[in-house]
Amino acid sequence: MANAAHGAHAADEHHDGLGHHISPLSTYIAVYLGLLVLTVVTVLVSYAELPPAQSIPAAVAVASVKATLVAAWFMHLKYDKRFNIFIFSAAVWFMAVFFLFTLFDLTTRGTVLETNDHHEWRIDKEEGTG
Amino acid sequence: MSAAAEHGHEHHPPYLAHHFFNMNQQADSVKMGMWLFLVQEILFFAGLFMAYIAMRYIYPDTWLAAAEELDKVMGATNTVVLLTSSLTMALGVRAAQMGNNKAVAGWCAATLLGAYGFMIIKYIEYSHKLHVGLLPGKFYSFEGLEQAATEAPQIFFSVYFMMTGVHGLHVVIGIGVIFWIMMKALGNSFNSENYAAVENVGLYWHLVDLIWIFLFPLLYLVR
Repeated sequence: MANAAHGAHAADEHHDGLGHHISPLSTYIAVYLGLLVLTVVTVLVSYAELPPAQSIPAAVAVASVKATLVAAWFMHLKYDKRFNIFIFSAAVWFMAVFFLFTLFDLTTRGTVLETNDHHEWRIDKEEGTG
Repeated sequence: MSAAAEHGHEHHPPYLAHHFFNMNQQADSVKMGMWLFLVQEILFFAGLFMAYIAMRYIYPDTWLAAAEELDKVMGATNTVVLLTSSLTMALGVRAAQMGNNKAVAGWCAATLLGAYGFMIIKYIEYSHKLHVGLLPGKFYSFEGLEQAATEAPQIFFSVYFMMTGVHGLHVVIGIGVIFWIMMKALGNSFNSENYAAVENVGLYWHLVDLIWIFLFPLLYLVR
């Protein structure tokens, strides 16, 4: 980091108050329109009567794009300190770990030892489907 | 050290706490604290989403049948209302960055309208469900669902009311803090250097929106 460049940057920051990025109005409008379009998309997809194996990934994918738009532009993460981006990403990562490992347990109960398979819900389920 | 102390003394506005060197450092610290709180909120909601995933895995047919009882149009309307209020909040923060207190108050008022609109639609939905008995656990008394299609609709509605209820609580808290920001803006409290409170309330409101972005398709658009 050159001192001169840093100095110039600091001067800019002073000029801008805190030097935080101020997005133009058009950016906010564009993000908002994008969010509306994606809302329409996700509603239309739900009328396509897809099987859950396709509709769930589709819904989650669209929601994730919308969430990224909100986090990056409305919440300014795109222009934020990298450490805040790290904090946010870490939370998403640990949420994924939490979901995945709980699902490992949930989906494999009863496949290791038959005696583990004593949960009431599983009995109910067999009665319901059989 | 004495130079730094002098420098700090020179530019010491009343809103700069004495333990920070300058506004930049104070604003960054405040914002990082807010992000730590926000990720706590994300992980807290993750528990509810996990309950959703587990229950949907156990009762897939129930989910498909019971979610049909939710009103897609109301859910979609509420999504648009909340997205719009998120835009007005973002514009409020932008106005604060430019030091325009009047505009901050105006955008906060617009955001509050959205928040009230969201709660009114939620109230209409909840009262309909209360009326017909689409309720959690033992309170469930709806008779419109075929037994063959559904094993445990009361569990779907437990998850529905828990997730939307806790989210709704966040909206109510949001109304409170946005109102507080609006009153402070009317008192000319913010400027282009000192707007961390507006920014953090904005971040909170966007997070409430972010959670709804996932709640809406997962609860209303199951099929």
